[in-house]
Amino acid sequence: MKNKHTISRRNFLVKSITALSAIYVVPDIFSNVSAAKPPNIEVSSKTRWGMSIDVDKCVDGCTSCIDACADENGLYGFDRPETDSQWIRKLTLKDIKTEKITVLPMLCQHCENPPCCDVCPTGASFRREDGIVMVNQHTCIGCRYCMMACPFKARSFVHENLTKQLTNSPRGKGCVESCNFCANKIDNGSDSTACEEACMKEGHNAISFGDLNNPKSRVNIAISKKPNRRLRADLKLKQTVTYSGF
Amino acid sequence: MYQFTIRLVVIITIIASPNTFSHSDNPHNIPEGKSKADFLEQCVEATDIMRKKHFNFLYHQRDKTVIKGIRTKKHSLANCVDCHVAHNQQGEPIPVNSEGQFCQVCHIKTATNIDCFSCHATVPRDRMSKNILKDNLNKASDLQNKTDKLLYYYQITLNEK
Repeated sequence: MKNKHTISRRNFLVKSITALSAIYVVPDIFSNVSAAKPPNIEVSSKTRWGMSIDVDKCVDGCTSCIDACADENGLYGFDRPETDSQWIRKLTLKDIKTEKITVLPMLCQHCENPPCCDVCPTGASFRREDGIVMVNQHTCIGCRYCMMACPFKARSFVHENLTKQLTNSPRGKGCVESCNFCANKIDNGSDSTACEEACMKEGHNAISFGDLNNPKSRVNIAISKKPNRRLRADLKLKQTVTYSGF
Repeated sequence: MYQFTIRLVVIITIIASPNTFSHSDNPHNIPEGKSKADFLEQCVEATDIMRKKHFNFLYHQRDKTVIKGIRTKKHSLANCVDCHVAHNQQGEPIPVNSEGQFCQVCHIKTATNIDCFSCHATVPRDRMSKNILKDNLNKASDLQNKTDKLLYYYQITLNEK
């Protein structure tokens, strides 16, 4: 019996390529729309940046995220660990009952209910539309209320005159500063932070960053694989930085 | 074969053109004491508007950048510095707020004290310069430590005598 529905070779190729592109290419384009932002468009609440940190994968003694942060933002201090700026630092925690020691990177947790913004007298601490908690250093008066309010000690104060700032990261004496999820990179269309890139490069993959509103982002994949939890969840700050594995 | 060579030549010219014809990022082509801006007709707006209102543009842009995340170059301070920075004999940029440089000349004349550059970079400083910067700082701190130690031992020996 002769098949009535034979199609030509050309037709078959055209249709199959269209179908494949519809399946593979189009969803990829649409899922990335919210993440990559051109520099001339203002941030919107369609994206919500977040980070997931797998404590099991974080290696004791590795400081690649801290070094990458310093390189990205020009955080070169004066070799005075008590007062030098730190946007990300490593903490060592010990469970009292099991004596298990965990090492985890601690940075600004980018809360949805940030206590630093509640106490700021000038409105310099603010939460951007896309969920990044930042200091507007043009209006910061250096009162350090936010440093008192932050339960994670994520903020630092610049005590001394700085000279060699980087163009993409202005910072100076008399202002409070903290992690801003590499806002400069993100605003120019990137969807990763310097610490995440460094952790990936090191092969540890402990840090996953991305858009929480995008189900295919790296952070959401990490969260779906392993149960995450917020530090001090009893404070109800709704941090967007979550930890897994401890 | 003839077509192939023509295609090859075309492809090579397309690929190589940015490297051979682009001078925009090369400070060596700018003569000593001159900036990129010296070779342009006008700034991002007409000159008389810029003279009267440049700070308004900057104020507006800084809020847009910090709060709304708009990082367009046109009215940004980084772009000002990039274009108006002069270069010395070695091709290194001279800070725009140092004496006799673009920002400082007018601001001294009008007795305007600005503090943009207590936080912002006075020369274009990008990712590439970071490692050099870090090295220099480390060397400086090493030297400082060594001199501190020397002074310390010197004082101890003095006290013993």
